[in-house]
Amino acid sequence: MKDYQVVIVGGGATGVGILRDLSMRGISALLLEQGDLAHGTSSRFHGLLHSGGRYAVKDPQSAAECIDENLILKKIAPHCISDTGGWFVQTKDDSPGYVEEWIKSCAGAHIPIREVSISEACRKEPLMDKNVLRVFEVPDATVDGFRIVWANARSARHYNGEFRTYHQAERLVTDKGQVTGVAVRNLLNGHQFTVHCDIVVNAAGAWASQLAGSIGIPLDVICDKGTLLAFNQRLFHRVVNRLRPSGDGDIFVPHETITILGTTSQFVDSPEDNDPQQEEVRSLLEIGEQLLPGIMKNRIIRAFSGIRPLHREDHDVPGVKEEGRNVSRSFALIDHELQDGIKGLISIVGGKFTTYRLMAEKVSDRVAEKLGNTTPCHTAEEDLLPEIPEHVYKKAARLLPYAPVEKMLERLQEDAEDVLKEIEQTPHKGQMLCECEMVSMAEVEKAASDEDTHHLADIRRKTRLGMGTCQGAFCTYRALPLLWQKKEKYDSLDEELRNFLNQRWKGIRPVLWGQQLRETELTRAIYSGILQFTEN
Amino acid sequence: MWDGIIIGGGLAGLTAGIRAAERGKQILIISEGAGSLTYSSGALDFGDVGQLLSHEDHPYALLGETVVHAGMEWFQNLFPDYRGSWSEFQEILTPLGAPRKAGIVPRSHNTEPLKNAKVIILMAPYGLKDFFPEIIKTNLLKAYPQCEVEIFPFRTGTFESWHTIGKPVTGMDYTKYWQSQPGVSELKRLLDSLPQTSGETVILFPGLAAAFCEPLKEVLAGTPFPVIEMTSFPPSACGHNLYSALKQKFKSLGGELLTGTGVQSIESHNKVCSRAIVRSKGRPTAFSADSFILATGGIFGGGIEATADTAQETVLGLPLYVPAQWTNSEFLGEQPYARIGIEADRELRPVGPGGKEVLFKNLRVIGRMLAHWDPWTETCGGGVSLATGWFAGNQL
Ligand SMILES: Cc1cc2nc3c(=O)[nH]c(=O)nc-3n(C[C@H](O)[C@H](O)[C@H](O)COP(=O)(O)OP(=O)(O)OC[C@H]3O[C@@H](n4cnc5c(N)ncnc54)[C@H](O)[C@@H]3O)c2cc1C
Ligand SMILES: Cc1cc2nc3c(=O)[nH]c(=O)nc-3n(C[C@H](O)[C@H](O)[C@H](O)COP(=O)(O)OP(=O)(O)OC[C@H]3O[C@@H](n4cnc5c(N)ncnc54)[C@H](O)[C@@H]3O)c2cc1C
Repeated sequence: MKDYQVVIVGGGATGVGILRDLSMRGISALLLEQGDLAHGTSSRFHGLLHSGGRYAVKDPQSAAECIDENLILKKIAPHCISDTGGWFVQTKDDSPGYVEEWIKSCAGAHIPIREVSISEACRKEPLMDKNVLRVFEVPDATVDGFRIVWANARSARHYNGEFRTYHQAERLVTDKGQVTGVAVRNLLNGHQFTVHCDIVVNAAGAWASQLAGSIGIPLDVICDKGTLLAFNQRLFHRVVNRLRPSGDGDIFVPHETITILGTTSQFVDSPEDNDPQQEEVRSLLEIGEQLLPGIMKNRIIRAFSGIRPLHREDHDVPGVKEEGRNVSRSFALIDHELQDGIKGLISIVGGKFTTYRLMAEKVSDRVAEKLGNTTPCHTAEEDLLPEIPEHVYKKAARLLPYAPVEKMLERLQEDAEDVLKEIEQTPHKGQMLCECEMVSMAEVEKAASDEDTHHLADIRRKTRLGMGTCQGAFCTYRALPLLWQKKEKYDSLDEELRNFLNQRWKGIRPVLWGQQLRETELTRAIYSGILQFTEN
Repeated sequence: MWDGIIIGGGLAGLTAGIRAAERGKQILIISEGAGSLTYSSGALDFGDVGQLLSHEDHPYALLGETVVHAGMEWFQNLFPDYRGSWSEFQEILTPLGAPRKAGIVPRSHNTEPLKNAKVIILMAPYGLKDFFPEIIKTNLLKAYPQCEVEIFPFRTGTFESWHTIGKPVTGMDYTKYWQSQPGVSELKRLLDSLPQTSGETVILFPGLAAAFCEPLKEVLAGTPFPVIEMTSFPPSACGHNLYSALKQKFKSLGGELLTGTGVQSIESHNKVCSRAIVRSKGRPTAFSADSFILATGGIFGGGIEATADTAQETVLGLPLYVPAQWTNSEFLGEQPYARIGIEADRELRPVGPGGKEVLFKNLRVIGRMLAHWDPWTETCGGGVSLATGWFAGNQL
C-alpha cells in the first residue's frame, strides 16, 4: 500500500524544488526535513545568484547552466532576488592572461559582460580599492535563500505537495532489492512510523551519503566547509568578485543592509562540523582587504559556515582532497537502479543554489519517466508566487512606517493580509518587536503560531528576528510572551532562550571585538544580570 | 588645580567623587557618556562576598572585607531609600516576575511582603513596553504557591493618543508621568479604587520607580496594603533615578561634573600624573590635579577597546590582563573575556606585568576597569564598582 508516489528527503532548495516540480506534474509527493526548511546549506551560503562568470574558465558547463538559471529565476521569483548586477575586478596581483581567457570563456557560455572604466568603477563603488586594473560587469544578482525555499514549498502546497519539518528519515526501507519507503522519526515527539512509496528521492545535501548508507549503498559526498562573514553595512552596491581563479574570500555580496564576504574551503568529516573558526575569519579579512582597503574598520556582526556537498566519483579521487574548489560543482543525478541495482532510489548531489531548479527538473524528469507520467516540466514558466495585490500594499503603507512595509510584504506574501488585519485591530501590534530588522509584533506573533514553527530559531529564519546588529539582545526577550502563548508546542522559555542565545553566540565568538564585544557585554548584562538566567 | 580628577562618571566614578567631596576634596569628574546605570536594574549586586574574597586577584580581595563592608554601609546611609544587609541577601523580582537575590535594593523592591501574602494584585498598565503580565503571573504562582494572582489592567488618559496610533509606552514614560503632579493624583485615585481586601493583599506595581520621589513615596505609604515594585527591562527608570541621585549628591557637595566630552590622554612625569587632556570645541584643554581616578567602565563603558588581536586601555594605554582564550560555548556561562582589565595593587594603583611595579603613584583604577572579575557569573557588578569607588574616594 503506497502512501505517496514519491518521498523526498531533504528540505533545502533542491528538495523543495523537486517537491514543486513533481506536484505540478500531478505526482503525489511528501518531503521530509529533519530541521526547519532550509536548515542545511540553503540558509548558510553566500546568497549569490551566479551569472556563471565564476565558472566560465574552469567549468563551462556549470557556467552555461548558471546563466540560464539566473535569467529564469529573475523572471519567476523577482521578489526573492535583488538584481544588483555584479563586477569582476582584476587587481595588480591577478594575472592578465587569466583575464583574456575569462573574456573568451564568458562569450562561449553566453554570459554578457561589459568593461567598466576605472573612473566609473571608483565613482560607483567608492570603498573599492582605487588601484584595481580592470573591471567587468556581469548579470550577477543576490538571492534570499530562505525566502525562495519557502516560496517553492508554498507553491508546491498549492499543487497538493506535502512537507513535514522536524521529521527525520532514519533509514530507507527495502523489499526484495527495491526501496519501498522510509522509516521516519518525528523529532518533536519521538514518534516513529514508515511511509511507503514507489520512489525515494535523496536530496539530503551533505547528509546524502548517510541516507544511502542506511541500506549499505556507497555514495561519496565530500563535506566542504565554507565560512562567511556578515558585515553590518552595505559596503558595496553590487556583487564584487575577484577576477582570478576562484579562491578564498574573494566575493562580496550585498544583502539589504549587510554585506557577506566569503568564502573559505576546507574538507570536514561531518555536515554538522559547521563552527566558524577564528583562523578562517582572519584569512577572509586578509584577502578581503585587497578589494576593500581598511576592511577591519567595519563592524562584523557574525561569522557562519555552510557545508558544500560535493560529489566525487570514486575512481577519480587522487589528490582532490586538498582543495575543494577543484572538485566539480556541477551536479550528479544518480539512479541507484543503474549504479547499484537497487530500484526505487534516486540521489541528487552537488550543484549550486543557483541551479536548484534545473537539478529539480532533471530529477523530476527521471521520476516521471519511471512512473509513466508524461506531463512536462513547467517550473521555468510559472511564477513562484502570485503578485501582492495593490490593496494589500496600500493597507500596509497606511498601517506601518514606510521602511518596514516592503520587506514585510515580501516575507509574508499571502499571509500579509492576516497580519495587517491584526495590526488594524490592535495598533500596538504594529510596533517593531525587532528594531534592527524592523519586524512587527504582529508578524512575529503570526510566525510563532504557524503550525510549522517549533523553535525560536524557526521564527528567526521566517522573520529575520535577531539577525540584525543587536543579534538578539533585545528581541529575544520580546519574543518570549509570543512563545508563551503557544507554550504547548515550544520547549520551556528558559530552554528556548538559552538555545537561541547559544546559536547566535556560535557566530559571534570568532568575531568578538570592537562594537560586537560591547554588544555582547550588554547581552550578558541583560540575560545573566537583569533576567538572571543561568547556564544549563 | 583640583585635588582629584575622576575620568568616567558611572557608578564607580560618581561614588568615588561623592566620597572624596564629602571629605572636603575639590573634585572634577569628566565623563564622556552617562555610564551603564540607566541600563541596569537599579539594584546593586554584591554576590557571594565571602567566597569572592578568597579569589586572590578579585577586586574584593584587593580591598579586603572591612572595606567592602564599609562601602555597603556608607551607601545605605547616603541613600536611605535603598536597603541592604551585610549578613543576608535582599530578594527582588526580575522583569519576568521571578524572585532573585541582590545586595542593596530600593526599599520598595523588597519582596518581603509577598512571603505572607494570600493575594497578589499585579497592576498591568496598558501598553507598557517589555512587560509581560501572563508570564509574570506564572512565575509568581511558582514562587509563591500560597498566593492567588490577579492581573489588574488599567489605562491612564495621558497615553490614550499613543495607544490609538500604537506608539509604545516605555517604563521610563510611565515613571515620568507618575512623578508629575497629575500622575501622583491619578495614582492615588487608582490605588484607592482597588478592592479593599484583607491585610493579606499585596500590590505589585511595574513601571513606578518610587525611590527618590517624595510625593510617590507618600502615596505608597498611605495605602492600606503594601505596594511593591519590580525591576524592569532596559532602559530602566530605576537605574536612571539612581544615576540622577548620585549626580545630584555629588554636585550638592560642591563637585564639578563635566559631561559629553572624553579625556584623551593624561600627561605624566616620573610616574606621577599631572594633567588630563580633553578635546572641547576642537581644541585640547588641560585640567591639572594632585590625584587621578580612572573609572572609564571597561568594554561597555568605553575604557577598553578590543581589536581582532588585542585589547587596549583607551586613555593611558595601561597594560591589561588579557586571557589567552576569550570565550566558551555556553553563552551564559563563564566567558574569560569578561576578566579583561587593569591589574592593581591593594591601593588600586595600576601595576605592570608581574604585579610588582606601580606604574603611576597618584592614579587609582576602579569599577569595571579592573581585571579579574565578571559581574555576570559572579553577580557583583554594583558591589565591585561601589566598593572600589568608595575606597578610592576615601583615600584620595
Ligand atoms: C559557504 C557556501 C557558500 C555558497 N554560496 C553559494 C552561492 O553564492 N550561490 C550558489 O548558487 N550556491 C552557493 N553555495 C552552494 C549552495 O548553497 C548549495 O549547493 C545548496 O544550498 C544545496 O542545497 P541542497 O538542497 O542540495 O542542500 P541543503 O540545503 O543542505 O538541504 C539538505 C537538507 O536535507 C536535510 N536532511 C539531511 N538528512 C536528512 C534526513 N535523514 N531526514 C530529513 N532531512 C534530512 C537537511 O537538514 C537539509 O536541510 C554555497 C555553499 C556554501 C557552503
Ligand atoms: C545592562 C546592564 C545591566 C546591569 N545590571 C546590573 C544589576 O542588575 N546589578 C548590578 O549590581 N549591576 C548591574 N550592572 C552593572 C553595573 O551597572 C556596572 O558594574 C557598573 O555600573 C560599572 O560601573 P563603572 O562606573 O565602572 O562603569 P560605567 O557605568 O560604564 O561608567 C563608565 C563611564 O566612563 C565614561 N568614559 C569612558 N571613557 C571615557 C573617557 N576617555 N573620558 C571620559 N569618560 C569616559 C563612560 O562614558 C561612562 O560614563 C548592569 C550593567 C549593565 C550594562
